Amino acid sequence: MKNTIKVERAKKNWTQADLAKHIGISRQGLNSIETGKFIPSTLLALRMAKVFGTTVEELFQLEVDEDGPGE
Amino acid sequence: MEQSKKSLNQQSIIFALIYGATYLPASWLLKHKVAGQSVSVIIALVPVITFAIFIYKYIKAISAMDEVKQRVQLEAVVIGFSLTAMLLMLLFLLELCGISNPGWFGYGFMVGYCWLFYIIGWLISKRKYGV
Repeated sequence: MKNTIKVERAKKNWTQADLAKHIGISRQGLNSIETGKFIPSTLLALRMAKVFGTTVEELFQLEVDEDGPGE
Repeated sequence: MEQSKKSLNQQSIIFALIYGATYLPASWLLKHKVAGQSVSVIIALVPVITFAIFIYKYIKAISAMDEVKQRVQLEAVVIGFSLTAMLLMLLFLLELCGISNPGWFGYGFMVGYCWLFYIIGWLISKRKYGV
């Protein structure tokens, strides 16, 4: 799964620590999500989308090989 | 909120140290048969009680962690538990073959191996998630 957290963060001129504080997780935890090592819960993804004023779908996208079997 | 999370983390570490500080002297006292049987039973129970308090504090600390740290702890516990169970199974099967070495693989050492495997799991998981 890829994400545009870094891009959205840059738009707001926020550091990882700033965003982490806004969504209530640790900076290391946010780094793990931003680098794609950890997939966040729906709740955290929604919180992130809310602080950026965007949607979860815009923030997180499936990679080509991650489409379901029916795709 | 952040302060309370930190405090819960610190409490679990403090109680882990208290557990260690009771387990090692209790083992020494019981090994050297310093006290009578009834007192020895009480001495044997002290580390069990401190361990129970540590587990309670540890679970409370985990529930206050963010989801990435919770995953790290979960994987560390799963790896630690699995490796300990594998070692116990291997030792049991070897014992059935007539091979045993209580000097290195007695009950007392199992506690140490269990902690060692948890730490290995924790390091693997921390590395995996980059935290």
